[in-house]
Amino acid sequence: MSEALLETRAVSKHYQMGATTVVALDGVSVEVREGEFVALQGTSGSGKSTLLNLIGGLDQPTSGEVVFDGRSLAPFSKREMARYRRHAVGMIFQNFNLIPTMTAAENVSLALAFGGVRGRARDERTRALLERVGLAERTAHRPAELSGGEQQRVAIARALANRPRVLLADEPTGNLDSTRAHELLSLLRTMVERDRLTVLMVTHDRELAARFADRTIQMKDGKIEQRMRDEG
Amino acid sequence: MIFFDILKLALRNLREAKLRVALTTIGVVVGVTVIVTMVSFGLGLQRNAVQRFKDLDLFNEITVTGQDVSELVAQVFNRGGQGGGGEGDRRAGVRRTRPQQPEQAPKRALDDAALAEIARIPGVEAVEPTVEFTAYVRANGRTQPQSIGGALVPNPASRFKSYAAGHMISDPTADEVVVDSRFISDFGFAKAADAVGQTVELLAPLGAERNPKQPAAAPQDEQAKQGSKQQRKANEDELSFFGLPLGDDAETNAQDARLTVRTFRIAGVLKDEVESGGVGRQARFRGLMPAARLYIPLATARELSHQYRDPLNEVALQLARESGALSAQQAEGYPSVIVRVNDPDVLTDVRKQLTALGFSSFSIVDELEEIRTFFLIVNSALGLLGGISLLVASFGIANTMIMAILERTREIGIMKAVGAEDREIKLIFFVEAGLIGLAGGIIGSLAAWGIDVVANRLAYRFFLQPRNVSFINFFALPPYLWLGAIAFAIVISIIAALYPAARAARIDPVKALRHD
Repeated sequence: MSEALLETRAVSKHYQMGATTVVALDGVSVEVREGEFVALQGTSGSGKSTLLNLIGGLDQPTSGEVVFDGRSLAPFSKREMARYRRHAVGMIFQNFNLIPTMTAAENVSLALAFGGVRGRARDERTRALLERVGLAERTAHRPAELSGGEQQRVAIARALANRPRVLLADEPTGNLDSTRAHELLSLLRTMVERDRLTVLMVTHDRELAARFADRTIQMKDGKIEQRMRDEG
Repeated sequence: MIFFDILKLALRNLREAKLRVALTTIGVVVGVTVIVTMVSFGLGLQRNAVQRFKDLDLFNEITVTGQDVSELVAQVFNRGGQGGGGEGDRRAGVRRTRPQQPEQAPKRALDDAALAEIARIPGVEAVEPTVEFTAYVRANGRTQPQSIGGALVPNPASRFKSYAAGHMISDPTADEVVVDSRFISDFGFAKAADAVGQTVELLAPLGAERNPKQPAAAPQDEQAKQGSKQQRKANEDELSFFGLPLGDDAETNAQDARLTVRTFRIAGVLKDEVESGGVGRQARFRGLMPAARLYIPLATARELSHQYRDPLNEVALQLARESGALSAQQAEGYPSVIVRVNDPDVLTDVRKQLTALGFSSFSIVDELEEIRTFFLIVNSALGLLGGISLLVASFGIANTMIMAILERTREIGIMKAVGAEDREIKLIFFVEAGLIGLAGGIIGSLAAWGIDVVANRLAYRFFLQPRNVSFINFFALPPYLWLGAIAFAIVISIIAALYPAARAARIDPVKALRHD
């Protein structure tokens, strides 16, 4: 068994809601190896999205630590955290989170711009990324002119712009019909198999998790409930 | 992320909210317009005032006074005592009351050697001795006492620049005269051009030509009409008697045996400056040189002035010569000379050197400093007014930026999620605000320029032209003013964006991206 690319060590996240403290995560430890497609499955409020945000570097745990490629994120400065988000992980969301005033190509290009890619190299990489998700013909369209599935694919292209090793997907099929959902997850599956991409996907859909992920981590009330291995 | 990308992003963001950005920019435009218009008006006032003084040679001239003969006599005959010679102003040149600065008394006479020494001081452009006297003048059938001044020929001073008719005296030895416009009216000429080429006669008492060291010599009436060089020699060390001039009688045209007559031809008539204030007399002051009705070549004037010397002065000179304080070969000094420098800035240094040489000096450059201080205050006050309006505009910018944050919270979250650093988020806001400042600054400066042009035209059309005054540019719009205003607008805009930018950078991406 190879060493984990991604690891959480007893991470907890508490939110202060007025006088009461809400425990979103309670000592969660998970491991994801390189080239693995892992599903985080649980009901809403189970803490799965919170866990994903911690791994994605968008949020800091109250206790515990996130470890990427053997390095703990805990001592990272804000700037190092931004670099981590830029180069180590890519994220996609249920509502796609594309910038509505930008075309598909501009959305992808923006991420490349933050990654320091310039000029022709940026244009070429933008085209290559959109081609890879099957949107070579839709580069000049704005999100509103694209279907949900297409928008999510633009989001995938953007997430992978700076060649991260991990793709973090937060309910990526939440706004898609089942056909589009299957298409999208097939695409991710291909990337995992062909490019050794590592995918950590949050979903509430048991069936999709079982069908596309290598394994599913079950969460409930901020804790890991059970680990399932699924070779499907 | 390179700056160009930031700039593109900022421009895109501004385009997304055109109306709001336009309104915000108008605020900046108004502020900059007020600043630039106000300050350019203040600078224009200053420039016009200073220029006026410069044109009148008031900032580049120094009046230098030397020790006069009476002081010499006082020293010799009243050792240790002060003022034996009396303080009655016997300096022929200092006729008008001028603001003389109380300084230590001059220790040297302004003789030719002293003049040459002064001329060698770095920065000194010209040294013009003051020679002035009053004489009866006959011209156009009238005879009146008039003030006569000596002029260097050629003469760089502004007073000899413009002529109503004719030109400057052609040669330092020419028997030519330049008269002012008052002379034209006093002597009944219809217009300036009529006077040019006419003859002017200066009347002197007969005895003036007699040299006391040659008592046997007969009165040399004819010599008076001869060349000035000859006359100058004759007048060296001479001591003349004061003769009462004849009355103002037009009938004395016939050569009177008791008078010598020196004839000059009118070369030019000086043009009176059109005074916008309408005070004609004021315009006659040009430079520190006392004004006169008639100007004749300096050497001739110097020589003639001895003939018009008053008896008290004459006695003083004689006493000085007898005591040996002034040798027979030594010419008496000029009462004062005007020193013209090539740049007002060196004036103070030149004055220090003059003091070191033992002369007293006076200049009005100190007043230039006062004028500068005054205008600094005026311009600051005007700039402050504009600054207040720009301050108001800065609140508009802050408001616009905060609105933008509210609208773009998700977008900022997305940028952070794909790896934007806080400083990059801040920079986008700063660039946006800076662009508003830049646009407002440029448009405001252009508007101010337009206002300047229109105001000048209106002032000319409705105020100056009806009063027959030539066009005056009331405003000064130096590049540093509008460039400074643009820079100031940018800085103010960026300062206004400090808080919004910091707030944008603080946005929590988790909250920003939370699905609705």
